Amino acid sequence: MKDEYEMIFKAVVEGNVEGAEKLVSDSLMGGIMAGELLNQGLIRAMDEVGTRFERGDMYIPEMLVSAKAMKAGLSILRPYLVKEGIPAIGRVIIGTVKGDMHDIGKNLVTMMLEGAGFEVIDLGTDVAPEKFAEAVRKYSPDIVGLSALLTTTMQQMKNTIEAIDDLGTRDQVKIIIGGAPVTQEYSEKIGADGYAADASKAVNWAKAIPHSNSKVF
Amino acid sequence: MLFKQLSEYSQPKMGVLSENQKNALHSASLEILQRTGVSVRLDDTRNRLAKAGCQVDNDRVFIPERLIEWALNQHPKHVVLCDRNATPAMALEGRNCYFGTGSDTPFVIDINSGLHRSAVIADIENVSRLADALHNLDFLMCMGIASDVRPEISDLYHFQAMVSNTIKPIVFTAWNASNLEAILRMAETVAGSLENLLRYPFVALYAEPTAPLIHSQIGCEKLEVICRLGLPLVYTPGLITGASSPVSHAGAIVVANAEILSGLLITQLINPGTPVIAGGGGMMTMDMHSMIASYGAPEFMFDWCSLREMGAFYGLPVFGFAGVSDALIFDQQAGIEGALWTLISALSGGNLIHDVGYLESGLTTSYEMIVAMDETIGLVKRFMQGMLVNNDTLAINTIASVGPGGHFLDVPHTLDHFRENWRPDIFCHSNRPDWNEAGASPLGDRALRKVKTILSQHKPEPLPQHVTENIKSIINNATSRLGRMD
Repeated sequence: MKDEYEMIFKAVVEGNVEGAEKLVSDSLMGGIMAGELLNQGLIRAMDEVGTRFERGDMYIPEMLVSAKAMKAGLSILRPYLVKEGIPAIGRVIIGTVKGDMHDIGKNLVTMMLEGAGFEVIDLGTDVAPEKFAEAVRKYSPDIVGLSALLTTTMQQMKNTIEAIDDLGTRDQVKIIIGGAPVTQEYSEKIGADGYAADASKAVNWAKAIPHSNSKVF
Repeated sequence: MLFKQLSEYSQPKMGVLSENQKNALHSASLEILQRTGVSVRLDDTRNRLAKAGCQVDNDRVFIPERLIEWALNQHPKHVVLCDRNATPAMALEGRNCYFGTGSDTPFVIDINSGLHRSAVIADIENVSRLADALHNLDFLMCMGIASDVRPEISDLYHFQAMVSNTIKPIVFTAWNASNLEAILRMAETVAGSLENLLRYPFVALYAEPTAPLIHSQIGCEKLEVICRLGLPLVYTPGLITGASSPVSHAGAIVVANAEILSGLLITQLINPGTPVIAGGGGMMTMDMHSMIASYGAPEFMFDWCSLREMGAFYGLPVFGFAGVSDALIFDQQAGIEGALWTLISALSGGNLIHDVGYLESGLTTSYEMIVAMDETIGLVKRFMQGMLVNNDTLAINTIASVGPGGHFLDVPHTLDHFRENWRPDIFCHSNRPDWNEAGASPLGDRALRKVKTILSQHKPEPLPQHVTENIKSIINNATSRLGRMD
């Protein structure tokens, strides 16, 4: 294993954003392939962070700073990854459904997906079903994430899924839902593809599904 | 720096008595000591009291106020117990709270069968190892009375089991003065010398008067032994309100307080300056139907808080209660009563707080209760830290930089401070899918699992070989003095 990989790994695990950025730049200058830096440095580091989180050795705030470092490194790598023809990890559209202003959970999932290397387009809060559908048409994501905190607004998840169904390309996108009142049963009932009880489970779910329409970085 | 000059912790606390009430309780206690008197059942001790100026009529001793004032002045204000390695571990003063197990329950609930059975010496070894491993327990009492050793000297075996399995300070019981002397020889061999034991005391005797208002012969004999050395002891009342004291709060406190003050006088007459944890004590409420001495009664909780305040009024270290219940098994009631006691003890400000793990009003030890209450104590200790207010904790710059609608999850201020928050070990902070995946277990199951994990893995620091041998020979000598068992 190259020293560079180890140093990037360490910077990301420690949540050293500037360090990760600089190390990635320097390594590229030194002629190391972007795809290798991604897999051996950044992604391996975030896997380690995930393991430590599961073990209870790391907590959300530390994980998010590691995700920031990962994201910073990745943004420098992205043009080089395109050149090397490395397939993207995946594109996600995310938002809190109509009538619901709560965004902490949605933001957490966003940051952790970015930390796992996903490109995330965040539509914000109080997002109407037609706005979700429009974004799906425009960005062709692999995954759509719907968030709701309230039992009253979670009904909008069903409406949003129906709006996406109406596009006629439902088989090209996976829909995951989450939020305090949401359950696995509810996700099945409204025709979602998945449910996650917390942000780290959402990331695991996203990593596990095949990305049929993955684009190049 | 907007608020740089601020840097203070708030301290959560509760009080139940007014200054007028404390003065009245004090006066009433003096009245009882002067004109009702206390019964002192040992000649030597009674003679000391007479010589000091008490009137004596047969075993009854009438104590003047000035002697109580004298005793309060002799008593040290700074009382410390060390651990087995001579490191100071507990400063029993002010509102410092330290938690530990209780002593001498005839029964335990077996961790394998779940059945209620007589305690054996292995239970005391196990409880000692458990307490040694649990972070929130500060000291140890033996929990059980072992039924599988010679009963006349089971206290010696208890001490051997404790001192061999924990380095934490030990509060022990002794059946009589000669057993006490044997136990102190064990403590001396562990400390290396009597001088070391006196300088770094890691043991304290627990003894008590007999309610109402009796200092028994055996009790006084033990006081004579321990006080002559000047080693620390607990000497607090254990009364049952409505039976061995008046049923009213105030009347019960007067009896308890009179026992405390007369007991303190005896200890200081034997050896001025002997450290005595003399405040607080047991004020169990007689259940007038079942006749149990109830530990879960709100009256006991209130009486103890009152007695704690009287202890503070006199500047005495206070003996307290936590993690104790009348429940017969480790169930919801056990958790509720145990937690209430723990929070009340801490808020009230007891110093040496014992009985963690008691069920059935002190008749049964529950291993699950010990670990569940260790967790509760951790939570309460965090609560008791209060709040620090200063420029950093006010976080004005952080709030300004995040602004309305942002989040604080990954800001440096959160990273700097979030680990100050308490984390549960066996209490559930899981979401439902995680809990289901982990087996959907109730607290009792998780507590039992933790007990078994600790007992299979934790290795306490061993005593040196020669110390172990010395302790064994002290027990052998005591056994041979008893003669053959029938």
